[in-house]
This record gives sequence, structure tokens and C-alpha cells, in this order.
Amino acid sequence: MKLRKDEVVWLLIFIAPAICLFFLFFILPILFLFVTSFTNWDGIGAEFVGLENYSKLLNKKSFIRAITNNLYWCVTAALITVPLALIVALLLAHRSRGWKVFRTVLFIPQVVSSAAIAMLWAAMFNAEYGLVNFLLEIIGFSDFEKYNWLGNVRTANAALIGFSLCYVGYFMVIMLAKTAGISDDYYDAANIDGATQFQKDVYITAPLIKSTFFLCIILAVIFNLRQFEYVYLMTAGGPANKTQVLVVYIWNELSVQRLGRGNAAGVIMICIGAALLLILRKLLKSETYN
Amino acid sequence: MIKSILKFFSVTFISISFTIISTVASAEITINWPSIWVGKDSKTTVIRELVDEFNAANAGAIKVVIEEQTDYDIYAQKLTAQISTGDLPDVFTVGADLLDILHRSGKAMDLAPHVGSDSHWNNVYPENALQSNMMEGQLTALPYELFVTPVTYNKKLLKAAGYDEFPTTYDEFFKMCEAVTATGKVCTSQMTGKNAWTSMLWFSQAVASAGGPNVYERGLDDPAWAQAFEVMEKMYMYTTSDAIGADAGVSGGHFLNERTAVFMNGPWFIARYTSDGIPGLHANIGVAPAPMLTGGKGAPGGYVGGRQSSLAAGKQSDPAKEEAVVKFLKWLTTPENVARLSYSSGAMFIVKADLPADMDRLFIEMNEQKGNAPYVAPTFLNGIASLPIAKEFPQALSALAIGDVTPEGAVEMLKDAE
Repeated sequence: MKLRKDEVVWLLIFIAPAICLFFLFFILPILFLFVTSFTNWDGIGAEFVGLENYSKLLNKKSFIRAITNNLYWCVTAALITVPLALIVALLLAHRSRGWKVFRTVLFIPQVVSSAAIAMLWAAMFNAEYGLVNFLLEIIGFSDFEKYNWLGNVRTANAALIGFSLCYVGYFMVIMLAKTAGISDDYYDAANIDGATQFQKDVYITAPLIKSTFFLCIILAVIFNLRQFEYVYLMTAGGPANKTQVLVVYIWNELSVQRLGRGNAAGVIMICIGAALLLILRKLLKSETYN
Repeated sequence: MIKSILKFFSVTFISISFTIISTVASAEITINWPSIWVGKDSKTTVIRELVDEFNAANAGAIKVVIEEQTDYDIYAQKLTAQISTGDLPDVFTVGADLLDILHRSGKAMDLAPHVGSDSHWNNVYPENALQSNMMEGQLTALPYELFVTPVTYNKKLLKAAGYDEFPTTYDEFFKMCEAVTATGKVCTSQMTGKNAWTSMLWFSQAVASAGGPNVYERGLDDPAWAQAFEVMEKMYMYTTSDAIGADAGVSGGHFLNERTAVFMNGPWFIARYTSDGIPGLHANIGVAPAPMLTGGKGAPGGYVGGRQSSLAAGKQSDPAKEEAVVKFLKWLTTPENVARLSYSSGAMFIVKADLPADMDRLFIEMNEQKGNAPYVAPTFLNGIASLPIAKEFPQALSALAIGDVTPEGAVEMLKDAE
């Protein structure tokens, strides 16, 4: 459809505020981030240092560890959290007795402050008085007496990511909402054909919410790429930088006034995010969720 | 008609009254103070009293408003950001690690002209205390709180382990830790969370013991650093299972609840032995200088300490507000008020104050030992004078504690952070 000239003018007038705000609060800061990433800006003064910030970052083990940990978070979200949310959504889509209670319970972590949840889990994982060790001891795992889950290299990441499964409820609700829009005709036809509930879930419901499932994967990857509060509050990237993630790394750089290097890390993070999205769009065939 | 006229005059009167009230109210100068001396801090009560008394004495003219900052680390990060943006609070406390950047920012109030304008600060500060704090002729912060960090130990727990005196060498110290462990208690409180404060103090003692009080001048290539990390490696063999990742609340909590026998912190913690410790804890506490490394360059009785926090103010464009801020800073630095703060909290201050004779026993012992100390070396955080290295310390320490790196490797981590 071709727009008339006056329609174009009105169109521009209406989208101008959004574009201005987008430019002011998104494009401009990214440009600023990019420019200052080539300087040794410390909040007071800045000198051009070329690619020094980037080369230093990419030669730092802790920074590479932060990137791999972030990818670990993203892969876990895409391969465990979202599929788990799909399974729960399919089960709750049956609208069995008490499904609303389950839906609410699973969604509760989403409405509670993540900082509060992180502190709660840090206390639960505490080696001296934590509930996790207490329960393990009760069921006979005495080896775990005073085991420091968040202070041990082997378990710190697993403990962090494990508790992030609490957030399965968010993706579950999105997919559950999509199932509500599926026409009953499909299920009636399947009933006539004698399909079991499992067959209906697998061959009707799941394919029809595929686009939402893919959307959830993309959201989960984005959320986990910018993971901050749980890591910062529960381990601060430790022990020995083993649980370090990009945003905590950037935060640390900024807090020691190495703003230029922190911004370089930010630019790298944006590039990784963009690359991940492009890969996901290719893998998930963008037309299915567009 | 009369009713309408009355209504009109009533409304006019009320409006004028409100205008006058708001004008008078706006004449009051408000000073914002994001204070870390709140909540569980031992100085909370007296600081609140001092602010209330100041506000009462200056009612209608000046009002100090405390913005509670309950997390020291978050406060430091917030202040760092404020220094960069130039949006400094009216009054604030600043750690030694941020003094340089505060000065370079040019956003802090220069207090040098006010020092010269009357005799208050020249009278209350020891000679050269202010001069040594000046940078390029400017005084951007008033030195305020001092500290020393001796070992505090639980005499009852040590006695149960067969020790009446605190060991003077690390060899003896670790033997003592074996004995304490055998009694079912844990020897030391340690932590790697946040800035690893308690462990950082132990590390500072060990570094000074190995390399002498001037070790910081020789840089991280000095073997003293690896020796100090060796001490810390052993120290973590005799600590609680939650030390890796623990914060100050956790590590302090173990000592307050008699789960650990030895703890290191500043004098500001003295009041908490009574307020938060188990009953009778304060009476059981002894104070001693940290042990020495055999063959180290440190001297027996050497202490670690330094400047804890300085008072500073944001640059003001309004001369009246600047005067108000200076007035409040003078109020905080009167000998009487400093003595009150010191008496209630156990904290030490650089301002000359006549302390009461019945000061806390632990405070007196710390003061005496400090007076007899051959040196007071800086803490690692202050001595190293590098925010990135200080930030990396907890990670290097935790890497060492979990066996991920050797003591030399931990030093390399610090070097790599710069």
C-alpha cells in the first residue's frame, strides 16, 4: 500500500517521539560506549589507546571465563529451562484439577525480588547452616556435611544455574497462554481418530506453539546473556573467577574506574549477543516466529 | 455577599500564609549525608544523636539529613560513580583508596581556606595531620577515623586448647590451631566475599611480617607476597567451611557466637562483642599483635592500621551552604563529640580528644599495643594503592584456598589485575 504525502508526514510525527527516545537512550549510549572503549577513560580523564582495551580483555583468563560461563548459562536456558517450561505448559494445558495452583506457584519467583531470592538461596547453600546440606544429611548423604556449594569450583556454577530453574514459570506462562488459542477442532478430530493425550500433546499442541517455544528460547538466551544479580549476590564471580559472567565482569571494571576497558567489554558483549541472535534466527528459521 | 467577601479573604489569607511558610522553610539549608554509620554500625547511635543535636541547635537554618547506606561496598561503588559524574553529596565519608581520584575530580570542596579562617581545625588536629593530607595545596578531605587491626581471640576457647597466651610466631599459631580444632572449635574466622575484609587484614599482617612495613614500596615482585599467601593458604585449613564466599557478617558472626577462636577486625567492632556477641563474650576476649613469620623482615609487636575514613564535602556554589557544611564538619570534629563517638563505639579518631578514663578495656589494650608497636604498617587495601588489585584480591585468595593456584600463582593473579 502506498502512503499519501500527508499520511507520511503524520506517520513521521507520530513515530518521532519514539525514535528520539530510542536514539537518546539506546543508540547514543552505544555510540558513546563504542567510542570510549578505545580510551583509558577513568571517569576523570581519557586518552586514546587504540585496541589496547580489547587486546587486554581477550588475553585475560577471567574475561574468557566470563564469556564461556555466559554461553553455559544461555545453553542451559535453551536446552533445559525452556524445554522444561514446555513440558510443564503441555501438562497444565490439560486443565487438570488444580492446574491454576501449579501455574501460580511456578510463576511466584517471577514476582518476587530476584535479589531476595538470591540471598535466600545463598543462605540455603551455606555450608554451616544451609538447608540444602541439612536435607542431604537427613536422607543419608553425610559426605555433604558442611559442603560449600557456592565456594567449590565443581559445584558453584551448577548451584547457580540449578536454582535459575525456578524461573521456568515465566516461559511456561507464555507457552500456556498460546495453548489457550488453539482451536478445539484439532482435539475433536484427534479424539475421533482415537489419539491418546500424549499423542495430542506431541502432534497437535507442541507443533502449534512451536513459534512461541522458539520465542521463549530467544528470550531465555537474551536474559541469560545479561545475567547479573544472582551471580553478583551469590558468588560475585568467585571462587577464583570460576562463576564470572560478562555483566559482573563489566561491573567490576567500572567499579575500579577502568571505564574504558569496561566499555570495551560491553562492546564485546553486544557483539556476542548480536551473533547469538543471528545464529538462533538461522537455526530456528525466523519465519516460524515472525 | 458578605459570605463571598469573607471566603475571598480567607482563601487569600491562607494562600499568603502558605507562601510565607514555604518561603521561610526554603530558607533552611538542607545538607544531605549518605552515611555508612547506620544500622548495625557501632557508631550509629551517637552519629544520630550528633545530627539531631546539630539540627536542633540550627533549627530553621540548617538541617542535616542522613541517607542510610547500609552496605559499605555498595556505598563505595556509589561514591566512585558520583565522583566520576561530579554529583557528590553535600557531606560524605571517603576511604583512603578513593582520595586520589576525589582530588583529581576537582568536585570536592577545598577545605584549606576554612582551615586557615579560624583556629578550630588547627587546634583539634595533631600537628601535620592536615598538612600531610593536602594535595597540590588543597585539602579535599579531613582525616577522621583511624584504625588498628590486632588479633582478637577468645581466651576461653584458647585455654580449652591448652593456650594461656597468644602465639607470637606463625609456627606456634598453626600448632595452636591444631589444638583448637581438636577441641571441636574452629580456629579462625575468614572470608573471601566482598573485599575479603577479615582475610585481607590477616594478609596485611602477614605481608608486613614477611617483608617489613615498607613492603609496598618494593612492588609485587617481592617474595614477601608469596610468603604471605602461604600463610593464608594454611589459615584456610583452619577456618569455617563457609569461609569461601562468606561476607563480613558471616565471618564476624562465627566469632561472636564462639564458633571460632580467633578474629581480626578494627576497634569499631569492640561494641559489637557486647551488643551482638553471646553473653560473656566480651570478658573472654584478648587482644594481641599478629604472629610473626620466622625469618621475616617484620618486627614482633608490629601492627597494621591506618586511616579508615575521611570526612569530605561536595563543592558548593552557594556560599551560605558551604558555610553550613563547614559548620557541620566542625561539629563532627569537636573533641567532645569525637570522644563520645569513640567511647560508644570503640572506634579511634585522629582528632585530639580527652577520652574518659573508663574506656573499654579492649580499646585501652589496643591503644597501648599500638603505642608500643615498632611500626603500624598499612593494610593491603591502602598500601597497594590500586583499585583493580584490591578488587582481584578476593578472587586470588579464593583461588588459593580451593587449591586452584599456588601462593606464587595468587601473586600472579594480583599482578595480572593491574
